Amino acid sequence: MVKAVPLPLRILARVFVAVTVLGLLAPLIVVVAASVSENQYISFPPQGFSLIWYRKVLSSDDYMSAAALSFGLALAVTVAATLIGGAAAIAIHRRKLPYPQLIGAVFISPLMLPTIIYAIGMLMLWSSMFGVVTVFTLWISHTIIATPYVVRTTLAVLSDSDPFLEEAARTMGANRLQRLMLVVVPQCLPGLAAGAFFAFNLSFDEAVLSLFLRKPDLTTLPVEIYSKLEFSPDPSVAAVSSIMIALTVVLIIVIDRVVGIKKFAST
Amino acid sequence: MTDRTENMLLVGPGLLLLALAFLLPIFQMLSLSVTGPSGLTLLNFVNFLGDPFYLGVLWRTIRLSLLITVICALIGFPLAYIISKVGSTMRLWLIAILILPLMTSVVVRTFGWMVLLSRSGLIPQVLQGLGLAHRGFALIQTETAIVIGMVQVLLPFMTLSVLGVIARIDPVLEEAARTMGCSFLQTVRTVVLPLSLPGIIAGSLLAFTLSASSFVTPNLLGGARIQVLATSIYNSVTQTLDWPFASAQAVILFAGIILTLIPYVRLMGDGRG
Repeated sequence: MVKAVPLPLRILARVFVAVTVLGLLAPLIVVVAASVSENQYISFPPQGFSLIWYRKVLSSDDYMSAAALSFGLALAVTVAATLIGGAAAIAIHRRKLPYPQLIGAVFISPLMLPTIIYAIGMLMLWSSMFGVVTVFTLWISHTIIATPYVVRTTLAVLSDSDPFLEEAARTMGANRLQRLMLVVVPQCLPGLAAGAFFAFNLSFDEAVLSLFLRKPDLTTLPVEIYSKLEFSPDPSVAAVSSIMIALTVVLIIVIDRVVGIKKFAST
Repeated sequence: MTDRTENMLLVGPGLLLLALAFLLPIFQMLSLSVTGPSGLTLLNFVNFLGDPFYLGVLWRTIRLSLLITVICALIGFPLAYIISKVGSTMRLWLIAILILPLMTSVVVRTFGWMVLLSRSGLIPQVLQGLGLAHRGFALIQTETAIVIGMVQVLLPFMTLSVLGVIARIDPVLEEAARTMGCSFLQTVRTVVLPLSLPGIIAGSLLAFTLSASSFVTPNLLGGARIQVLATSIYNSVTQTLDWPFASAQAVILFAGIILTLIPYVRLMGDGRG
């Protein structure tokens, strides 16, 4: 093994990593710090320590109804995207479809197209066909952009799985449904789980589609924060944002426990 | 039932949903972009490309996106290389630190930069304290603010994309280069860098596409005065309510992304061969 990265470079590398990490985390740290400030306006470094802004969030109808909408929406999107994406990934993996490449590409395509372009299309199509936008519109459009994640995580898990298990089950006399539900789906579980968490996170944090499709009574949490930021933010915005950051941290830990983050970090 | 039927049943719901709720809306948007009061027209495009204001918006979008992509690559490549070399505990931490901002809502992250870059924010204050900036200096509502905010948003994409490729490079290659007399930096330049080009290309395509099309960060950090194409589309949709014009701008955005990417892929492809 050839060793020896020159010492100055080692030091430089440490400094570089430290500065980059600081830059990546800085906005999140600032938000959390500002949320516990005693000040009436947002400040960093924070003045004093208090949890009044969290209390204000919990007693605010605007925030709580937005949070309820976002949470319900994210759950519905998770269920739909996991079912649709998981089923598609299983079929794509078996390589027995007509035009397999094309079908695979179609399922990943919502990842390639900038969301803003899709958001405009969805707004215009829905308005011309059904008139006013509803929570159903948000559900469908979030599901469209979340499904590719489930497809990818499930395919990643399937590509490591034993291809002969299903064949063995067939030889032993298991019928189609039994093979699918008792052999293939259990093999996919880690991928389905990871995909489901990503789908939840994507929908819960999504701002672009939700902003284009917003209405006064259809305000998700990111849209609520966005509108507060456009006008006069007080530290309660920081408190809500901190809660969202905390939720993200929890999700990452859960994903890591269930499947291991590294597996999906570079797919 | 044949295998093929079973598989078609499995992909069927997804394909149907994608056809109706993804391809159809895009088609609707495309057709609306060439629709005028009296049928088919290219007027929406002429209005955009003939107006110096909108040409300026287009140029700013391309310029900033390229700058953001280059900065992401310059930071992302060394960062990915270092992550691939550190011990496994440290690597897990660094990846978690990359994923945390990636999975945090863009609205929340941008909010953090608004606080840091505003007139009374930490960064302008520090710069003033060091005598590097005059009083009343602010970074918010400048192009610099957009670049800072977007680089933070996109750096994880770039780094993870490069890391996926770098992690697969056989370490023996580097050792061979060192044994043959290359210095550390020569090894990185002549072995690691060329081999990680696919990751850098993929990351750059992603970073460029996302920075050209994002509007939350530019809107909040750049303000109403500094418009990019995506914020201008949003204004056309929500404020002037000119949907055909918004569609035309979206088509121009998409065409612009593709036109910029083709020579980039060619260039990098040549460099690799």
